[in-house]
Amino acid sequence: MSSPVADQPILVVQDVVKRFVLRRSAADWLRHRPGEIHTAVKGVSFEVARGEILGLAGGSGSGKTTLARMLIRLVEPDDGKILFRDTDVRAARGRGLREVRREIQMVFQDPYSSLNPRMRVGAAILEAGRVHHQPGAEDGDAFVTRMLDLVRLPASAATRRPQELSGGQRQRVAIARALAVGPSVLIADEAVSALDVSIQTQLLNLFLDLRDELGLSIIFVAHQLSVIAEVADRVAIMHEGAIKEIGSTADVFNDPQDDYTKTLIAAHPHPYPPAEGPSTVVSSSL
Amino acid sequence: MADVGVVVEKFARRRRAFRVKNWELTLGLVIVGLLVVAAILAPVIAPYNPNAINILHALEKPSWSHLMGTDFVGRDLFSRVLYGLRVDLLVVAVITYVGLAIGVTVGTVAGYLGGWFDAVVGRIADTVISFPFIVLVLAVIAIVGPGLKGVAIGIIVVGWALYARLARSEMLAMKEQPFMLATKALGYSNTRAIFRHALPNLVRSSLVYSTVDVVVNMLVLAGMSYLGLGQQAPGADLGSIIAGGQEYLLNAWWITTIPGAVLVLFGIGVSLIGDGLTNGELSMATI
Repeated sequence: MSSPVADQPILVVQDVVKRFVLRRSAADWLRHRPGEIHTAVKGVSFEVARGEILGLAGGSGSGKTTLARMLIRLVEPDDGKILFRDTDVRAARGRGLREVRREIQMVFQDPYSSLNPRMRVGAAILEAGRVHHQPGAEDGDAFVTRMLDLVRLPASAATRRPQELSGGQRQRVAIARALAVGPSVLIADEAVSALDVSIQTQLLNLFLDLRDELGLSIIFVAHQLSVIAEVADRVAIMHEGAIKEIGSTADVFNDPQDDYTKTLIAAHPHPYPPAEGPSTVVSSSL
Repeated sequence: MADVGVVVEKFARRRRAFRVKNWELTLGLVIVGLLVVAAILAPVIAPYNPNAINILHALEKPSWSHLMGTDFVGRDLFSRVLYGLRVDLLVVAVITYVGLAIGVTVGTVAGYLGGWFDAVVGRIADTVISFPFIVLVLAVIAIVGPGLKGVAIGIIVVGWALYARLARSEMLAMKEQPFMLATKALGYSNTRAIFRHALPNLVRSSLVYSTVDVVVNMLVLAGMSYLGLGQQAPGADLGSIIAGGQEYLLNAWWITTIPGAVLVLFGIGVSLIGDGLTNGELSMATI
């Protein structure tokens, strides 16, 4: 690891593998053969430190979403090891698995379908807090207001239904709901990809603030390198199910070592002229 | 205060859209509503005891004293139709929605959990559906015995299966929706995910389908009574009144025709409601 890791990593991923069976013919079945297999994630390893933002970049089909989902077992890994603090995530069952999922929360790509259309914002947030007996959740309104405040939404949002809100507001609600269970790791799976650029910036700043305020570790999955460059301390570049390169964001983007990383960075459009503000320093050198 | 104005305005706009776009729903609700009110108020509205025999006035044409005429033993047909409708509506509502409740519950759970439970439920539903509906109902009546109870049990035993299939297939699609994945990611129990998050979002299609089912069940119930397996004499229900009139069809057409027309009217009303629910302006969240 090239970047400094302050203390014990909060999440350790070792040689994780996911294979999908594409087609299994009757002949395969008779001969006990597994059929045609696609390996979506090919033995990936990385660590996440407390309070760190790790960017996970890669093209479509590179396996980044599958990898992210395996971390909380929405997809079952076929091989490898996932350690959250001292818990073996792959071995967790029942209550243990629910506790892992409470600690590692996920925000999904499409804010239009990740909220139950029939539940008001306040009810959705409160439910999450109450299911996991979070402190203050018994107070109801006060708890909801506190969560909405964390994502910079007014308390009046609590009585809204998701379809009355904009995409950016919905994504904030999804984040508030995730925070309501008191996680220490947040996985943002393409969480800003469906939003327009100005809203993206606001949400990226929100993620940075949340890291600072709550000490959250964030795994930030995105296909847009510019987005990763804005928030990530370290970045892992995925291609065809493997991590091609991992290191501090500045190192990887300024001096890519791997051929695929070089191609990816070269191919990425940069919409603005070089170097103006501090936040564009890294991006402008792409 | 401004908020109140906005809400009122929105409500008014929704009502306007509702009225314009949903004449089917409105008309259907009016027809079914009138029939239901008439059935509920049967003891108040009915001018005669529905089972009172008056041989002197047998087979009378519709007139002001007997709005729908009388049958072969002089019972007032209007009163009998009201009481018959009352029995039929009650039985049909119970069997359709008990079937819906069982089917939707079993179907969503099977679709969500998958595995052996899904396989068992699926095969049972296939078996039930592959039999001709009426034959299976008859078989159940043969076991339980004739009468309304037999018909009701028979139709429920058969009727849940289609709801189960419908709910299961919707659940399979909904399971992959991010908000259902989110319930897993949030560490919610299966029970909470199924009943609090999935079910309210997929019950709508079953409710729409139930408007077809209500008509089918009404006809099956009337059919069973017509065959003498449903409502037992002297109690009135539309099917048994129709059956009782067929011997007199040529000289007393009203005995069979009028209850038949009531049945048709009910069918039209319910179908209109179904159409209205399908095409309507009502979004998932408003209904």
